[in-house]
Amino acid sequence: MAESVITVQGLVKRYGDLTAVDHIDFEVYRGEVFSMLGPNGAGKTTTVEIMECLRTKTEGDVTILGMDIERKVRDIKKRIGVLPQDFNAFDLLTVKENIEYFGGMFKHQLPADDLIETVNLGEKRDVYFKNLSGGLKQRVGVAISMVNDPDIIFLDEPTTGLDPVARREVWEVIKDLKSKGKTIILTTHYMEEAEVLSDRVGIIDRGKFITMGSPNDIIDRYGTGTTMIVRGGDDTALQRLQGLSSKVERKGNDIVVRLDSKDVLPEAIMRIHEEGVHYEEVQMRRSTLEDVFLTLTGKRLENGEEVKKGKRVKK
Amino acid sequence: MTGRLMSSKVMINLIAQIKMFFRSPGSVFWTVAFPVLLILLFGAIFSGTGSTKYSLYVQDLDGSPISEEFVDALNSTGVLIINKVDPGIDSDQYIKDNSIASFLTIPQGFSSSFLPEPERQNSTLLLRIDNSSSSSGTVATIVNAASQSINLELAGGSIVVSTAILGISNTAQYNFIDFFLPGVIGLTAMTSTVNWMVGLQTRYRQNGIFKKLATTPITQMDWLVSLILWQIATVFMSVVIILAVGILAFDVHLTLDPISIGIIVLSSALFSAMGLIIARFVKDEETAGAAAGAITFPMMFLAGSFFPLESMPPYLAAIAKAMPLTYVNNGLRDSMIYANTAGAINNLLIVAMLTVVFMVVGAAISTWKQE
Ligand SMILES: Nc1ncnc2c1ncn2[C@@H]1O[C@H](COP(=O)(O)OP(=O)(O)OP(=O)(O)O)[C@@H](O)[C@H]1O
Ligand SMILES: [Mg+2]
Repeated sequence: MAESVITVQGLVKRYGDLTAVDHIDFEVYRGEVFSMLGPNGAGKTTTVEIMECLRTKTEGDVTILGMDIERKVRDIKKRIGVLPQDFNAFDLLTVKENIEYFGGMFKHQLPADDLIETVNLGEKRDVYFKNLSGGLKQRVGVAISMVNDPDIIFLDEPTTGLDPVARREVWEVIKDLKSKGKTIILTTHYMEEAEVLSDRVGIIDRGKFITMGSPNDIIDRYGTGTTMIVRGGDDTALQRLQGLSSKVERKGNDIVVRLDSKDVLPEAIMRIHEEGVHYEEVQMRRSTLEDVFLTLTGKRLENGEEVKKGKRVKK
Repeated sequence: MTGRLMSSKVMINLIAQIKMFFRSPGSVFWTVAFPVLLILLFGAIFSGTGSTKYSLYVQDLDGSPISEEFVDALNSTGVLIINKVDPGIDSDQYIKDNSIASFLTIPQGFSSSFLPEPERQNSTLLLRIDNSSSSSGTVATIVNAASQSINLELAGGSIVVSTAILGISNTAQYNFIDFFLPGVIGLTAMTSTVNWMVGLQTRYRQNGIFKKLATTPITQMDWLVSLILWQIATVFMSVVIILAVGILAFDVHLTLDPISIGIIVLSSALFSAMGLIIARFVKDEETAGAAAGAITFPMMFLAGSFFPLESMPPYLAAIAKAMPLTYVNNGLRDSMIYANTAGAINNLLIVAMLTVVFMVVGAAISTWKQE
């Protein structure tokens, strides 16, 4: 079992009457990317900022690298790197000057040029921060979060508000950090981001984790399984498939089959791949975290906003 | 102690602030252009230029054709606007009531100076002028020249008509610009630091830089120390510029002694701390300028930056006593123009006390932490 670098037990944060974080427990292991996935106001920022010693907790125990967050603030700061939500650096300093500025705050710091290399900003080295696009600003933020060569890096919504291309560029940088052995705590409202980047995901809603595990495990557990779509399948195909699964529907020219498990997939293909059965093509669609979120909360998640769907009533 | 004060974090932030200062036109305006504009503007209003005419009030007690001719002669110089005052009026009261800067009395018997010898009698013109008014020198010169020419004409140079000059306000040995410049220094020390501090603190709180800083080992104290050091430096930049303009354009005579330097250093820290305190109550950057102005503007006018406190109505003077800028202005004037060391030190001590109080409060209520 991997070494645990963060432990959170019974963490509660109240703002007046509002309980923003409601008794959560989790651990983060060395070298993994752990994502907190949830809608606006779920309590992601509150939780990570308590771990970063930026906010005070109401109840519970939190340790970072074995150190208590209330008693070892100075030591913890030296060993973590933080990209706060809505990050900004100094507008009128250049990329390099900004990295050097924050580096200078630490005794032990990495050379600015190496970091610029890591986040692939070589051409923008001498550009004022205010003149960078959103995606580039976030990459500067990631570089700055690494200036002290931290063991743990917190990235609070590193891609919110970015266009898809810029988002993927930030993903590459994060993958690169992971390959360097950093432990990363990431918050996001993008299902795809959590799926692509994380080793483990905790889905958080209203201050509570509603499930936690590797993206695959979660999808297997709460997803709608694997869906096979047989384009242009004829009635013979329909009959043959009905013998395999109870959830077979005709939708226009297509046949939609819900497979109970991936294991029955070869069998399904064999049944229609026979003399006398006609179809055009077969498509597979696997459940995503999006489906999981819908199953668990009855809500869809679009850009961080919860959308209530159809007749589903929230629990 | 200095080792702690000038930690590398303080240095790094100081250097970064200096770079950003010179990259931002706004801050350069408050430090450089604003005081220069003020001096030039007020200098022009109060000292006038060559084409301006000066008012001279004349009370003719002689009432003879000859005295009238003399008044006409003054008038014909083209530089003076002559206002005749009724001979029956009490001149002292009149000067006071109408805040008159130049008042000439032609004595009874003036015309007898123009009689041939031996009836000729000497007479004395009485010119009362306010020395703090920048036009006073010019008026005195003209009146003097006119009486000199009478002497030349009538008596070949021996004196038959002389001019006695009396100061209207007896404190004044300096002119308006001399009085005004220390006010501009105090004013600039206040406006540039308060504006800069409020703007900067509010901006960084709002855009998340404080949150980011809070995740690094730099402390609130490192941060404040470096900002205040930088503000002291910018205020001295302003002082150099103000004195240079004053000397070049208006030939001012001011001394920058250790006491005035002390007051300038302390007031930079004092007003920086005031900026910190104001910033704590400002929500966003858009309102920062307005909030800073709401505090500095009234102070600018009430603390005697432009006009002596003595010339204010008593209730305003009482308000002025509650304003830190008043003591800065008074201290700077005591040390820079009146050479009043005791008064200057007194004001310096008051400013020092206020500085400590404001700094303690400012540091105590500034925080990077969020609930
Ligand atoms: N300083 C605060 N004072 C009062 N309430 C707060 C404060 N900060 C957060 N909250 C509330 O706590 C809840 C959780 O907020 P938090 O910022 O942790 O959510 P989040 O998951 O990070 O959301 P987002 O995706 O919008 O960043 C929200 O309802 C929010 O309004
Ligand atoms: Mg958040």
